[in-house]
Amino acid sequence: MARRVFITGMGIISAIGNNVSENRARLMRGETGIHKAKLLQSRYSEIFPFAEIPHSTQELKERAGITGEKGISRTEILALLTIQQAVKDAVLLKNDLTSFDTALLSASTVGGMSMTDQLHQDANKIGEPSEYLSAYSTGKHTINLLKRFGIKGISATFNTACSSSANAIMFGAKLIKSGRCKRAIAGGADALAKFTVNGFNSLQILSPNPCMPFDKNRSGLTLGEGAAYLVLEAEDVVGTKKTYGEVTGYGNANDAHHPSSLSDEATGIIESISNALNVAGLKPEDIDFINTHGTGTENNDITEQKGMSAIFRKTPPFQSTKTYTGHTLGAAGAVEAVFSLLALKNDELYPSLNCESPIDDFNVTPNMVYKSGFEIKHVLTNSFGFGGNCSSLIFSKV
Amino acid sequence: MFIRDLSCISPQATYFDALFENGAEELHGPKLWAKEPSYKEIIPNKLLRRMSKLTRMSVGTGLPLIKKHKDIEGIIIASSNGSLDRSMRFLNQIIDYNEGTLTPTDFVQSTPNSIAGVLALMGKITGYNTTHVNQGLSFEASVLDALMLFEEGKSKQLLLGGGEEMSDENYNIDSQRGLHKAEDISTSELLHSTTKGTLPGEGFAMFVVDANKNSESLAEIVDADMICHASKEEIVKKAKYLITKNGMSPRDIDTLFLGRNGDIRTDFYYNHLQNTLFSDQNICFYKNLTGDYYTVSTFATWLAAKFLGGAKLPEECFWKQTTNAVQNVLLYNNYDGEQHGFILMRTV
Repeated sequence: MARRVFITGMGIISAIGNNVSENRARLMRGETGIHKAKLLQSRYSEIFPFAEIPHSTQELKERAGITGEKGISRTEILALLTIQQAVKDAVLLKNDLTSFDTALLSASTVGGMSMTDQLHQDANKIGEPSEYLSAYSTGKHTINLLKRFGIKGISATFNTACSSSANAIMFGAKLIKSGRCKRAIAGGADALAKFTVNGFNSLQILSPNPCMPFDKNRSGLTLGEGAAYLVLEAEDVVGTKKTYGEVTGYGNANDAHHPSSLSDEATGIIESISNALNVAGLKPEDIDFINTHGTGTENNDITEQKGMSAIFRKTPPFQSTKTYTGHTLGAAGAVEAVFSLLALKNDELYPSLNCESPIDDFNVTPNMVYKSGFEIKHVLTNSFGFGGNCSSLIFSKV
Repeated sequence: MFIRDLSCISPQATYFDALFENGAEELHGPKLWAKEPSYKEIIPNKLLRRMSKLTRMSVGTGLPLIKKHKDIEGIIIASSNGSLDRSMRFLNQIIDYNEGTLTPTDFVQSTPNSIAGVLALMGKITGYNTTHVNQGLSFEASVLDALMLFEEGKSKQLLLGGGEEMSDENYNIDSQRGLHKAEDISTSELLHSTTKGTLPGEGFAMFVVDANKNSESLAEIVDADMICHASKEEIVKKAKYLITKNGMSPRDIDTLFLGRNGDIRTDFYYNHLQNTLFSDQNICFYKNLTGDYYTVSTFATWLAAKFLGGAKLPEECFWKQTTNAVQNVLLYNNYDGEQHGFILMRTV
């Protein structure tokens, strides 16, 4: 039968911390990372709050040990920093990395286009070519990271908008289950960029205040930046390593309704969650906790609640960590996979912030206090994106 | 998995298969534009006007297949750049209007997954849906994605495909990176060239694939694999790894489709693989028909599927022709000498 897939390492960087323990500490304390942006070069940094990682690109390079290197986008540096953590955490050796059955699966929406101004100059041949000529393509960070870590196996880069890195993790689990790989590093990265800020502003879904998921007065999403990667390993190579949990379920579906909003019927959401439960062989009542997509837009939150209430007779405790990290787009699925695994491993719930007046229709509110000793056997985490892309993952205690 | 039906837009006359009757057309650089069909019968005019070139090529190839094969359950698309022209239009507006109020149409279309989204919407296909953007390996990863869905029993029929559009902006960027020929050159001279760079192209190929063989099956896609930043010896090792993993030996391969693109810096990979493992095989080339782009393996797969299904390839495709019966085909392509992809196919 199919092999089990365990998580043996994690790495993360977000507005609430440079590593897993810093992120967990801020979640436990209910401290948001959403503030006025100090580094983002955009006129909208004066108008909207952002969840910015408070380190310049140069500082991030220094942290990653690549100070003098040229042509590396901020997105790629975020990915590099977190893969370094994940590889160390899972104690992957050089031989593990170079083996043909080790994969690297990444995800991003903006990729190297995070260098928006340089791209404009290079694309229009203004002045001398910049150092980023080869870095703009979304998949380039993955290709560069393969080289840096000496990975010779399967690689993939997903861009399914806001569900991108959930698909990378799903793909990794399947590569291992099917016997194609023994281990996979899977996640995603997205840096704040003028390109995305203007894109979401043109859709008029950026909130003037820190996002308020599941509040009836919510006014849009808050953009953030970050990266997170998991090391997935087949049960037969895990040995005595510590594990954070097991990937038991995954689902992917398309809402097939509208290019940039979800259907009233929550078709894609219901199908995606149902598929994940089906793969895991679980019933809805087996889910102890849900990490929602919870962006804070009018359309997402009401549709997500509708989807949850259609599947769960009694909706389990749920929250949105986008109230801490903002919406990290292509990284969100992986960032929130790390948070879900922390909750699972430590039997704790983190408070969802900024929900003062919950949406009336469903008679449920997100969990708003820190709770320890809350037993979690199975956690569901959801990611939905433009283009109707919906993905769900289920992690379970080993 | 088995290819049941397929459609292709490319710089050659592929949409109605005229390529196989009339042979390849000699094309001149610097850019090899896709020969697009009239979309009138396929896409309502109002929608067509708003679509990027990539969107209309994907809908032009995909929608007729969706309409003909009503059992398609999911969509997997490979497009590294997506609707790049829309990305660049949006980018230029950001700068030109100093981050003023912009319309979201270009932004929404700029994301590569909008292609699979539009096809899902038009065909009301709510199953598995994903988009691969892994540069020169996007399609190889998509093939693995489809194979695994079938193996898990999660799906029985899928729409699988990919392609790219060319824009002035990405031409500018890639030229400055040294990817293109500096000199004027035509497709008939391309593979004999001894200089750096290649000719850029564009196109889209779409496949209806089945988990199980049936009476309409044209060819089988057996497996795919890939490696990056590899030595020529590692390429050979990877090719052997893929072939033996699938219960074959290099001797069982009778035809190679090689992504030779006339770039003196990277064509040695093809020579080495060919000389080391495949000295007695048919050798086919295709970039002298289409030029090069990230997802050009979709075109190679389309051509190989036609070949396996009995089509007579234009003579320009054969570097070496043997009397071998065509049964097992290996596709090998490298992008920019750093991204190496393999697809293994065979007759049904």
